[in-house]
Amino acid sequence: MTDRFESILDESISALQAGVPIEEILAEVPEYAAELRPLLFAAMLLADPNPKLIPEERKAVLHAEYMAQVAELPPVAPTFGDKLQAVFRIAQRRTTRKAVVKDLVTVTITVILTLLMVILVLGYMAQNSLPGDFLYGIKRSTENTQLFFTFDDGRKAELQANFNQRRLSEIEQLLGQNRVAVVEFRGTIETQAEQLWIIEGFTVLIPDDAVIEGSPQEGDTVDVMGILRTNNVLVADTIQRVK
Amino acid sequence: MEEDLSLLERIKQHDQQALAEVHNRYFDQIYYYISYRVGDSETAADLAGEVFLALVKALKNGKPPQTSLTGWLYAVARNLAADHIKKQVHTVPLLEDLVADAPSMTDQAHLAQILPTIKMALLELTDEQQHVIALRFGQGLSLAEAAKIMDKSVGAIKALQHRALASLARLLPAEVDDDG
Repeated sequence: MTDRFESILDESISALQAGVPIEEILAEVPEYAAELRPLLFAAMLLADPNPKLIPEERKAVLHAEYMAQVAELPPVAPTFGDKLQAVFRIAQRRTTRKAVVKDLVTVTITVILTLLMVILVLGYMAQNSLPGDFLYGIKRSTENTQLFFTFDDGRKAELQANFNQRRLSEIEQLLGQNRVAVVEFRGTIETQAEQLWIIEGFTVLIPDDAVIEGSPQEGDTVDVMGILRTNNVLVADTIQRVK
Repeated sequence: MEEDLSLLERIKQHDQQALAEVHNRYFDQIYYYISYRVGDSETAADLAGEVFLALVKALKNGKPPQTSLTGWLYAVARNLAADHIKKQVHTVPLLEDLVADAPSMTDQAHLAQILPTIKMALLELTDEQQHVIALRFGQGLSLAEAAKIMDKSVGAIKALQHRALASLARLLPAEVDDDG
């Protein structure tokens, strides 16, 4: 009942504000007329027919005072919440399918380029390394890669010969530096005493437990693997005749 | 209202252009609201100015309006008007005296003449009732708009409006009703 009356009251006020006379409004809802009449009369009195305007000059002064205070406001430092929201917004922008693919491509290219750079730099630095050095493995891997990707037999043989020259040169440098290292090379057997062979100009000690494969004779080409001792003696571990 | 929210976000960042826009957009309606409630235009201008300075102060203290800019402005205006009214020594003249020599209460000239005293009668209402009357009849806001500003339901505003008008009507002499 009250809700209904309040709705009728509001509709009646709207009609009153639209200029409909009170009696006409009451005639529409005669059952509520007695209760509505004093309320509508009060409502009629409440309308302000002549609202007082504020002089423009006064308003301008108040506006200037306000803006003077506004000008003194310090800049707002972003709060932790603001920063979190900013990160969230960026994350939202970056999680679209297109953005994810773009990011993956960028990361992959960056990783590949970085790896290539690292390999190139290390490869360059490894060029002068000797057996036993930290970078020597890279030097040998680079050579093996070169051989792997060389399909012409003549060019491959040429490369192998070059690399063998490097091995011989490395042994000479190691001997000069009196260093211990595992070495390998290919060379021709020049002389063969019982336990002392001269291969490609290097004196090689053949211990009893050395593995000799293919019954190599003087003049044969062999692959030698052994240990260079501090007394400048190369102790053979394996000697294999090259067919 | 979306525009109000966008403005609110900008003023939270102390955007001077947005703050200037707030003054330009809302000063007049806040002034009319206060003017309706206190009845004196000079005082209304001062208090309206204070409302906007209070906004700057709130921003400076890191306590900006959170959800509704207009709701916040009206709430401050309401408090300032209520404080001002409390400080005033007022007497409510009997409406019987006012309407006695009026041939009809629908006479607009007479209504304008007695309006200041009607407003004095308004002071007998509770602050909340005065607030809703000022919004609905002074500002001409709809029930929904008033509800938004007062952060209440439309039903609550209807009930408040009903009680306010009923309280005011009780001040009216019976012969005036018959006259109207």
